Amino acid sequence: MADNKRRWALEGVRVIDLTWLLAGPGGTRILASLGAQVIRVECREPRAVDFLRYTPPFPRKDKSAPAQDLGMLAGTPANGFNRSGNFNNINPGKFAITLNLNHPKGRDLLRRLVARAHVLCENFSPERMDQWGVGYAELRRVNPSLIYVQTTGMGKAGVYRDYAGYGPTAQALSGLTAMSGLPEPREPAGWGYSYLDHSPGYYSSMLVIAAIMRRRKTGQGCYIDLSQTECGIMLSGTAALAHQLSGQPTARHGNRMPFAPWAPHGAYPCRAEGDPGDEWIAIAVQNDDQWAALVAEMGSPVWAAEARFADAAGRKANEDELDRKLAAWTSTQERYALMARLQARGIPAGVVQKSVDRFTRDDQLRARGFFVALPQSEIGEWPVDGFPARMTASPAFVGGLTARGAPMLGEDNERIYREVLGIESAELEALKAEGAV
Amino acid sequence: MSAGAAPLGDALGGFVVLEVGDERGEFAGVLLAGLGAEVIRVEPPGGAPSRRLGPFASGAPHPERSLHFWRYNLNKKSVTLDLGNSAAAPVLARVAAHADVIIDSGEAAAVARRMAAYRELRAASPRLIVCAITPFGLDGPWRDFKMTDLTQLAMGGIMAVCGYEPGADGKYDTAPIAPAAWHAYHLGSEYAAVSIAAALNFRELSGEGQEIDVSIHEAINTCTEFTMPSYIYAGVVVKRQTARHASASISPPWLRRAADGVYVNAIIAPTDREFRALVRLLDDCGVTHDLNSEAFSDPTRRGRREAQREIFAALDRLVASRPAEEIFRRAQALGLAWAPVRRPEENLADEHFRRRGSFAAIAHPELGGDLLYPASVATDGERPHFNYRRRAPRLSEHTGEILARAGYAADEIAALRAARII
Repeated sequence: MADNKRRWALEGVRVIDLTWLLAGPGGTRILASLGAQVIRVECREPRAVDFLRYTPPFPRKDKSAPAQDLGMLAGTPANGFNRSGNFNNINPGKFAITLNLNHPKGRDLLRRLVARAHVLCENFSPERMDQWGVGYAELRRVNPSLIYVQTTGMGKAGVYRDYAGYGPTAQALSGLTAMSGLPEPREPAGWGYSYLDHSPGYYSSMLVIAAIMRRRKTGQGCYIDLSQTECGIMLSGTAALAHQLSGQPTARHGNRMPFAPWAPHGAYPCRAEGDPGDEWIAIAVQNDDQWAALVAEMGSPVWAAEARFADAAGRKANEDELDRKLAAWTSTQERYALMARLQARGIPAGVVQKSVDRFTRDDQLRARGFFVALPQSEIGEWPVDGFPARMTASPAFVGGLTARGAPMLGEDNERIYREVLGIESAELEALKAEGAV
Repeated sequence: MSAGAAPLGDALGGFVVLEVGDERGEFAGVLLAGLGAEVIRVEPPGGAPSRRLGPFASGAPHPERSLHFWRYNLNKKSVTLDLGNSAAAPVLARVAAHADVIIDSGEAAAVARRMAAYRELRAASPRLIVCAITPFGLDGPWRDFKMTDLTQLAMGGIMAVCGYEPGADGKYDTAPIAPAAWHAYHLGSEYAAVSIAAALNFRELSGEGQEIDVSIHEAINTCTEFTMPSYIYAGVVVKRQTARHASASISPPWLRRAADGVYVNAIIAPTDREFRALVRLLDDCGVTHDLNSEAFSDPTRRGRREAQREIFAALDRLVASRPAEEIFRRAQALGLAWAPVRRPEENLADEHFRRRGSFAAIAHPELGGDLLYPASVATDGERPHFNYRRRAPRLSEHTGEILARAGYAADEIAALRAARII
């Protein structure tokens, strides 16, 4: 049950959430964590159900069972739409209703919901809502102060308005893929997940809150045409600036630091903890004091006293050799113990933590209570990622108003249709029978 | 889009943000400044640490030529104030009396020391919002670990899933690679900006300010997609692989090299629609293939190992047949979500991004012209929501203006300067 004493930063804000996958739902997750009433609106037609509801991982029967093969595409999940762990992590704190936008009464219900809401978020392909007759131009007539967020791969306005894009598409086009990895002639290493599915959520939530404040002052609504690729451009650092001044193409540097004379600066192998091992520690030496401390921790080996490693410029100029020597030493070390010893000497160092490490060995996440266990109505209690900012007066809570994990498909039909639109059970059943809900 | 739609570039107009600390929080200030807040960068008299980060305009390091400082301090003002000097406290108090928000970023111990002073300010003015951005938050066993962008991305979980795939023996012969461009600080600052906006909204509802404690480590931890659920629910530790999603097993490559040597992110979803688009594209480009044969007639057949191998080989030949930008346009015209791997600067002249205002032309009189900065993520249908107009400040450029507003007379300002407090 929701905590009635809790005070929310977004008290009284209602969000109609038509988003799917991650690029849209990440933003409404944040709004829900801050106390907005986020109502997921989903179609119950299997072909139109959020694809994330289809995707693994699904809970193991018992947590000590062996690891599952995730597969990539599960088809219609045998166990229904309410068991995806990925969906659960991305949609906690939200209400869920069903509504069919292919049905005229469904579209009418959406208009009525929008009339009673502040914000609508969607990330369909760019023209989809217009095709249904419920695009921004139409909904603005229903609710002139509506804040409408449309997240797409490229952006709805512009030359690429009809282009399709997912996180990896946006990462490639924006420049982020090209920037990451070892120098030419190696191919880019890019990203091992859809960073640009996460980023739009930070910006949509930020822009929505700004728009809510403006709306309070002026009554004005807002249309937000948010582009995943532009998020990538925004996050490309100084690359485009440097190019304009130097004319040089942006290069990749692996883990090395091209912008300051920091060396060693990379990930170094540690003692294997399995076969084959994949254990690493990141070390970033920024100055002579840290270097001296590292040399001492290594037991002052002869090689480290060589003149060519004595100052930052020398270490940078001889980085290949430096990395080889350092790696030979780290590879004999247990990674967490090594991190503790390096940190005790004031050297920036951190274990390259895998998921299992973050979940089972990260003392900091545990101490701060980062993972939040929330009940999900079908699969029970599971931990989801917490909100990374503590707020003293209006604390964020990923369980939001529902104090639940992700909603089941249509879980809140009765409550939301009654509370928001005054539709009682009998009428709701009729709407369901007609295929509108 | 006319009435009802207008850019949000002034939505936070009237709010004043003081930004103390190092490079960890500067992106938060830039985001708020792009939405209209007056953001005042409080620098030590020697300049903010980020002024020493490259790259530098014209090569040699110089505090007024750091492109890093330029990029992450657009639209801001600069005052100098030596917060290490106890005589600075009353100056900070008078300047902060005009502020709505203080952002402070850096190592937790240093930020925590300054928090004591901010708490006194909050006691006098409970509407004040204070946001700390630190590597691990203000408490916890790892609070005082020394961190950089690299070590944060390592510990936060992004690095472990980024890099190159293992060899045939399953052993990685390259280290995991942290994506470049300060993403640890991007993530911490994005959450900080969201939280600050939320706190401002809460203040309008309640009249109360508050303290915000952002952990960069936790911000990174929220940003690894299904990496963590795969472990929590299924016990799977996903394996990193070149330029594609880390997953339980090694999947076929996504990047393919075009005729001009540029890579294209080109993948086919296992749907009829995408398969037909691929066949059409192969035909259009005159690339020979056997995909019309019986062996590819339905999804089950296409899923077989042999069929998959043929499909990927055809895909390779297709991408290799034309320059990357042509493959991009042709594939997208058929509804395939492909894109060339562009370098960031290759978007500067792209008509799509030009029309959307993705880059803002910022005047740099000292360079005798404009520089284009990444400046937008969204439009109102016509114009970008973020509004960037002013280059990063020169060191102490606005000290006189800000102190005068705080009630200091010219001779008092001169005395503070002589005492090296400002």
